[in-house]
Amino acid sequence: MSSIAATEMDNTIDTPGRRTPLVLGKQTYASVTQAIARISEESQPMIWWVTFVIALAGLMMFGALIVHLVLTGVGVWGNMSPVFWGWPIVNFVFWVGIGHAGTLISAILYLFRQNWRTSINRAAEAMTIFAVICAGTFPGIHVGRVWMAYWLAPYPSLNLWMWPQFRSPLLWDVFAVGTYASVSLIFWYMGMIPDLATFRDRSQTKWRRLVYGILSLGWSGSSRHWMRYEKAYSILAALATPLVLSVHTVVSFDFAVSQLPGWHTTIFPPYFVAGAIFSGFGMVLTLLIPMRVIYNLKHIITPRHLDNMCKIILATGSMVGLAYITEFFMAWYSKNPYEYDTFVFRAFGPYWWAYWIMFTCNVISPQVFWFKVFRRNTVLMWIVTIFVNIGMWFERFVITVTSLARDFLPSSWGYFSPTWVDIGMLVGSFGLFTTLFCLFCRYLPVVAISEVKGVMSQHAHAEHLHASGSHHD
Amino acid sequence: MSEHQPKPQKVRPPRSFGWTAEYDDEHQLLEAARRVREAGYTKIDAFTPFPVHGIDTALGIRRTKLPWFSLIAGMTGTTVALLLQIWTNAIDYPYIISGKPYISLPAFIPVTFELTVLFAAFMTVFAMLGLNGLPKFSNPVFTNPKFDRASDDRFFLWVDSRDQYFNADKVRELLEATGALAVEEVREDDSPTQVPKAIYAAIAALILITLIPGAIVLNMRNSKSPYPRWHVFFDMDFQPIRKAQQPTTIFADGRVQRPPVPGTVARGELGPSDPFVLGYDPDAVAANLPAQGPSSRLVSYQQDGDEQPPAPVEPGAREQPPAPEEPPAPTPAAPDQPASSEPEAPPQQPAAATASQERPVSAEESSDGAAEQTSATAVAATDDDAVGDEEAPGAVATGDAGGEPNYAWLQTFPLEVTAELIQQGRREFEQNCAVCHGLAGYGDGLVARRAAELAQGYWLPPTSLHEQRIVEQPVGRLYYTITHGKGKMAPYADALTPTERWAIVAYIRVLQRSQNARSEDVPPGVDVAASANSDNVR
Repeated sequence: MSSIAATEMDNTIDTPGRRTPLVLGKQTYASVTQAIARISEESQPMIWWVTFVIALAGLMMFGALIVHLVLTGVGVWGNMSPVFWGWPIVNFVFWVGIGHAGTLISAILYLFRQNWRTSINRAAEAMTIFAVICAGTFPGIHVGRVWMAYWLAPYPSLNLWMWPQFRSPLLWDVFAVGTYASVSLIFWYMGMIPDLATFRDRSQTKWRRLVYGILSLGWSGSSRHWMRYEKAYSILAALATPLVLSVHTVVSFDFAVSQLPGWHTTIFPPYFVAGAIFSGFGMVLTLLIPMRVIYNLKHIITPRHLDNMCKIILATGSMVGLAYITEFFMAWYSKNPYEYDTFVFRAFGPYWWAYWIMFTCNVISPQVFWFKVFRRNTVLMWIVTIFVNIGMWFERFVITVTSLARDFLPSSWGYFSPTWVDIGMLVGSFGLFTTLFCLFCRYLPVVAISEVKGVMSQHAHAEHLHASGSHHD
Repeated sequence: MSEHQPKPQKVRPPRSFGWTAEYDDEHQLLEAARRVREAGYTKIDAFTPFPVHGIDTALGIRRTKLPWFSLIAGMTGTTVALLLQIWTNAIDYPYIISGKPYISLPAFIPVTFELTVLFAAFMTVFAMLGLNGLPKFSNPVFTNPKFDRASDDRFFLWVDSRDQYFNADKVRELLEATGALAVEEVREDDSPTQVPKAIYAAIAALILITLIPGAIVLNMRNSKSPYPRWHVFFDMDFQPIRKAQQPTTIFADGRVQRPPVPGTVARGELGPSDPFVLGYDPDAVAANLPAQGPSSRLVSYQQDGDEQPPAPVEPGAREQPPAPEEPPAPTPAAPDQPASSEPEAPPQQPAAATASQERPVSAEESSDGAAEQTSATAVAATDDDAVGDEEAPGAVATGDAGGEPNYAWLQTFPLEVTAELIQQGRREFEQNCAVCHGLAGYGDGLVARRAAELAQGYWLPPTSLHEQRIVEQPVGRLYYTITHGKGKMAPYADALTPTERWAIVAYIRVLQRSQNARSEDVPPGVDVAASANSDNVR
């Protein structure tokens, strides 16, 4: 009863009249629990250790560079007139964009009843939190005097006797990213409570039981609790859906509300949101493709999941490409010489290489997903997702740096060059991200166990009805 | 609890909480739940590893009030955000940004939205936990080791012993009849309920430790200390610089403040002793400077109030009447003779004269301090300047002589008056002066007319330039008025160069002449009647 009669390992083909299984092989509830819980119960494979040590080194470098920055000043970056928003802001927007996939998968796909989300939402949400942590670091250290960063908060200051300026997009950004980070965190945690209870109940050692016992808050699986939990999950999904769309919209306001040619465009909010989902799914695939191999989760994160994500990448990548072309069209059609020059400068000026890296990686490379062979071959897929990550970083670089490099006064035109600290901090932020993700794999349930079981139950029920219906015919 | 308990059969130390039935399939659980409910039990529950579809109706679980909590929290968030933004940006600390109104709702939308979501989301999670009674770390069902599989792959049905129809035997029979894998009684948890004292001690110690920094800060804030403020971050409060009056080792003289480099000309001191710049002859003033006490000078400075007091004059220099060796250069000039057009280098001044350069000695002080000092100055001051008003530079009253006072005003233009100069003066006059004094100089400029219209009591009307006393003023006096202002009139020294000021004076002279022309002024051969339509002629 509790097993799924699906023996074939390819669930990317839709059979008319039948629900395509989302979990492959002869799976029981116990086998799903075992497959996921053992990841944190058994010792980690060698590749985990290698990754973790490298990532930890990157994290320590990141910390050291931040100390260097705080002790020396923001002059250690390449930010120089006229490009005052250099790599730190590029990295911020890059990481915030990546942080969009998790909550999108948990919230929007939940509201659309996309059951395939259950296998990937936990890892995607974790990735979201970690990406937002990386993102939040950069504006935090970008304020120059880090110890004054709390001035961003609206509190009745004893030293300033004044309040933040609520008509500024930069302050909206503080609220948007802060709300997104905290709501994503609590959403992630709430979703994890039943699985933490599973970990608690499987614990063999006293310490594990104590820690997971505290984290799971005494979850018993009572149906009344489940009922309220599901209601809370729906409400959170309904709240998080507009939130996801608002965050990158507000981030785009940082640019769009200014008067700078290349920034001051109304297309920015939808264009940023599409780019964020694009880059977020790119990063989810980058992480999940190795993870499902390393932890032997191929039957839970199935080819159909990867196939669906590839299609989303194709769709959002094409949207981003449309946005690029629309920007150019508007620059020409508006007959605004400043706008037009800025875009010609982007594509054919000294930053032409960045523009065409962006265009190739973001628009052209995902087009291979029109072909099923690319949506089936995980190696090719992974390479494309790496291109997507690179392309989306360069998109933010192109938007931020090229618009600033050409000021209104030709006398202040300049060319941005990063310093070694800039490069080290970008690498170091990946170290922070990867360290957190490794720890997540090590200690927390990487797949939403209870949700996968719920979907299995529904599918078994549907199969049951299907079988009985055909029998009666 | 005890009132619903059935009559005690055996004395068992742990109380009975209820019975569980274990299933390995959610459909069996659903079926069993329906049967138990049909049997009339209401205090029943199910423990499942995932939310089982249809269990709510099978168990008769009512809908939750949770959405109301979210709604109210969301509305609270909206209200808080709007009040916060309106209070901070429009009431407590109002300032205009980008020309937006103080309460600019469109700009407040993003933060309002974010706080709405923030409040609603947190309330949803905490209300869910609260309604569920979580966190609850001690639960009797956890005493059964089999119950560990309730979060894995087993489904438990639960009948509470507090149910009004509860009967242990009947319940067990009913549950066993549903095909349960096992039917078991859940008893009170007999594990020790006492929290170890060490945990209390540890928590108390932790709280105390976390209070220490705050206590130190509070103590520092409320106590006095002879030492400077303790800075966590120095910012720019301490820098390797010296303040005024502090010693230094960098310079040989040990002084931080550096004297001006030799040859420095301070602001406002460039060529002030030139009559071209001053409008009067400083040498003549110096020659007539009365010997007077410092106190009276001080009083007069205070009366003036708008000029900085000059450097104190050396006592010795003040005692002896200054005697210029040579007569001042530019004056006197014959009335018809055009003066030199170029300003010359400032002549050397006696020490006492230097003091009076900035602000000439006033008539009052002259009269009380040095009334009898009648000096036959070289200044060719004409006697028709019978202006008894204030602050006439170098006005050396003849006092008891009863005659007209002598002035050091320049009587003639120190530059050549040409048609171009007068045209320039007209331009400058119409730009700078006419707004108050009127295009023709009658004190009926737009500002004056507007002020008269508003009938403001404190408005002092601009002087008509055709008043007799103005007409009689020497050009130097007019120039001085333009330079330093008078009454409500602002000084124009910063706005106009000396040449421009002289040009205006020249134009004023033209205006005065044109408005006060006599028939003798008409050159012979000109037909007055033909030009009679010129109404300006009075």
